[in-house]
Amino acid sequence: MLEIKNIHKSFGKNEILKGVDLRIDKGDVVVILGPSGSGKTTLLRCVNFLERADKGTASFGDINVDLKEASKKDVLAIRKKTAFVFQNYNLFNNKTALENVAEGLIIGRKVPKQEAYEISKKALDKVGLSEKYDFYPSQLSGGQQQRVGIARAVALNPDIILFDEPTSALDPELVGEVLQVMKDIAKEGTTMLVVTHEMGFAKDVANKVIFMDGGVIVEEGTPHDIFDTPKEERTRKFLRRVLPDNYEFDN
Amino acid sequence: MDSSLNIPFLIDTFWVALSGVPTALLVTVVAMLIAVPVAFFFALTRINNIPVISQIAKIYVSFVRGTPIIIQIFVLYSFIPIFLNSIFTKYNIDYPIYDIHPLWYAFIIFSFNTTAVLIEVFRSALGTVDRGQLEAAHSVGLTTKQAYIRIIIPQALVSALPNICTATVNLIKATSLGYAISLQEITLRAKVEANLGYNYLEAYIDIFIVYLIVCIAVEQLFKWWEKRLSRYKMASA
Repeated sequence: MLEIKNIHKSFGKNEILKGVDLRIDKGDVVVILGPSGSGKTTLLRCVNFLERADKGTASFGDINVDLKEASKKDVLAIRKKTAFVFQNYNLFNNKTALENVAEGLIIGRKVPKQEAYEISKKALDKVGLSEKYDFYPSQLSGGQQQRVGIARAVALNPDIILFDEPTSALDPELVGEVLQVMKDIAKEGTTMLVVTHEMGFAKDVANKVIFMDGGVIVEEGTPHDIFDTPKEERTRKFLRRVLPDNYEFDN
Repeated sequence: MDSSLNIPFLIDTFWVALSGVPTALLVTVVAMLIAVPVAFFFALTRINNIPVISQIAKIYVSFVRGTPIIIQIFVLYSFIPIFLNSIFTKYNIDYPIYDIHPLWYAFIIFSFNTTAVLIEVFRSALGTVDRGQLEAAHSVGLTTKQAYIRIIIPQALVSALPNICTATVNLIKATSLGYAISLQEITLRAKVEANLGYNYLEAYIDIFIVYLIVCIAVEQLFKWWEKRLSRYKMASA
């Protein structure tokens, strides 16, 4: 469904992505792991054109684009097929939870208001916020804000939802509620590309795990491949750092 | 000369000073109407570091901030007729330049000045809205223009309002300098009245009170507006 080839991106003299290929099929839950600075977030942002890649191609259903040269029309078309959940939620502070979710439907997708609010209410119900339609972001906890962020993405019914470290900015006790919502929507068959440091989520929910380091994909495979029988030394080193002390690889 | 206040004159002149309010407000409103969009445009070029225009805006702001308004008035009031004259002569346009109503000069001078003030006001206000919201707007399919109109500006406006209020009040007070170009505003009218009998103190008291009333009214208006616009902040306030 989404295939990215040979993506490169530099910031100044710093090459962050050094030729990454990525393929996601319908219904996949792909988790990208890696130390900070490995290019995971940049990769995600380039897919949604929040950053312009320096090189690379993407084919997304029937759309084929050069990531560097993509026209405004192509960018909008690809953004229509994707939705983004941000690390810092990035909710619209001047709008209520319901308006936050409906905004993209009404303005971006030209859905009639009445219908957009119906869809938005359903999306908020799904993330457990049916009591909070008329609350402004400033009145919600971090976990609730991020769930609005997820509802905003879900409501658009995109082909794929991109999650950029959705729990990293949360207080530890709020992480669970957000992960639960993500598990729920994964179960419904939503295609997801998730950058996260939550190893539990990667192990339990993903069907494909990618380990990135230094701007390249070091290793990829099923959660079993990566967590139980990692082949690359860099992967093993990273996992030993982030997994519990008593964790043992199978190989 | 009698040292006590001439109360009947004080009262009569109060109404004369008050009759200058429409002129002062007209200049203020027109200057704001011109300055707001122009300043907003320049503020955007400053934030996004658009080459050339952003530098021009920067220099413009420094010039206006670094000179007294009264001097700006004198310079523009002398420069504009000369400039127009050279153009009109060149194209053989027969127009009595020196009969142009001072109101037109006031519009130009005060928009020129207020634009510079507002560029800085808008620049800092737009900076208070986290860039992530623009990205989020893009990610749900809004164009940059839609994102600005629906998300960014409504929030930036809230943080800009106290400064816009200050700029407006300063502008109202600055119109008193309009006397220098014989603009029939509050100060000039009262002073002309005082000239007749040398009742300057009474006239000045009247002027003082009129500005105070107008400025307080404007401040209240802004306060009400700010309260209305910042409803979404209720929890974090």
